Amino acid sequence: MTYCFYICVCLCLVIFQTTIIPYISLFSKFYDLLIPFIIYVGLFRPAREGILFIPVLGFLMDSLSGGPFGLYVTTYFWLFIVVKLVIKYLHLENNILLLFIVAAGVLMENIIFIAIGFMLGPDSRFPAIAIRTVIFQILWAVCTGLFFLIFFNHIHKKLEKWFNELIAEKS
Amino acid sequence: MFSKKMVMIVGAVALIVVNIIILSVTSARYSSYGSGRVAIFFIAPFQEAIAQSVQFLKNIWGHYFFLVSVAKESDNLKKSLNYALDKNNRYREIEISNLRLRDLLNFRKTMTNQVIVAEVIGQDPSPWFKTIIIDKGKSDGVEKGLPVVAPEGIAGQVIDSTYNYSKVLLIIDDNSAVDALVQRTRDRGLIKGQSGGRCLFKYVLRKHDIKVGDAVISSGLDGVFPKGLRVGYVSGIVKRNSGMFQEIAVTPYIDFDKLEEVLIVLNPPPKHEFVSEQ
Repeated sequence: MTYCFYICVCLCLVIFQTTIIPYISLFSKFYDLLIPFIIYVGLFRPAREGILFIPVLGFLMDSLSGGPFGLYVTTYFWLFIVVKLVIKYLHLENNILLLFIVAAGVLMENIIFIAIGFMLGPDSRFPAIAIRTVIFQILWAVCTGLFFLIFFNHIHKKLEKWFNELIAEKS
Repeated sequence: MFSKKMVMIVGAVALIVVNIIILSVTSARYSSYGSGRVAIFFIAPFQEAIAQSVQFLKNIWGHYFFLVSVAKESDNLKKSLNYALDKNNRYREIEISNLRLRDLLNFRKTMTNQVIVAEVIGQDPSPWFKTIIIDKGKSDGVEKGLPVVAPEGIAGQVIDSTYNYSKVLLIIDDNSAVDALVQRTRDRGLIKGQSGGRCLFKYVLRKHDIKVGDAVISSGLDGVFPKGLRVGYVSGIVKRNSGMFQEIAVTPYIDFDKLEEVLIVLNPPPKHEFVSEQ
């Protein structure tokens, strides 16, 4: 059930990100929608679920992207690990933390992308437009990231409750 | 002599008779008296107010139902208008699509190479990389390495292909490179992708006289893109004090944000490879 939910949500997010967002000029600098999802899995779900699912998700994104293969797997895996480490020291009840954790995730993804870009192509440049892109993505993440986390958590809980009730009725 | 009861009956009968006589006299001719006028003077304003209020309420009541029907009519008209606008928009879209496809068809006729048309169905999930997904794959003869063009110029190169879909690396991606030359001066260089939807024309010697606005075309020497296809125009030149080459910014003719259909060249120019003699 949980994995079905993960698959459905991720498919929706990926399709939305690759087919709808590019055509809406307002969202031209929107961040990777899978980041809040990975953070949600890291924050609220057991590690075994993420360990299995996150690499598959990274693989999917690597297949769609023009970047070096494995870039998304790497980014998502480390993001998941970092989130798991962070929650050992910080309290989840703090909404301020949740407000900025997606922005931090977006920043981390961009740093990894830029770093790997420089590593693989030493003559790469870092134009001003890239800085603007990162800043816009972080601002978007601050404004909307928390809502995504709440939304995923709410839907997942509802689905689990509904599924448990269904099983209880049948048995 | 007369009982009390008898007097009352006679009085009542007399009153009735007098009453009837008065009624018959007054009904024959109408006249207004002063007391009537005073009554009208005092009562009429109230009557008027009440009557107007009643009329007002009646009007509100009547108009309410009228407005309900008008609102319904308005809703229906709005629906009709939206439908008409939607239809109009669809026709406009078909018209634009028709023009675009005509351009594509004309361009296709001018190309001597065998080409197929593909539709863009997705874009790269990351803003750092510039790739698109198209709806043609191995089943249509599309293979890795084939050039992808549009009526405006070169779009990119197929970097991955599945049975029904392919991934195209656009020329504005950092990892893209196209062997090109300036149309006017025939000076060669390498078009490299750059962030921000522009390209860099690299390895052009400082001595070459290149001007802003010059068209850059494919040289055909990379063995990928056919010769003579438009790439972009020179939009900026930087000649540093040192160094062999000049830095040239090239703006592609294609607006990649609005790219909807592309052509895949199925028989690209042959690659020139040296064969070692043994």
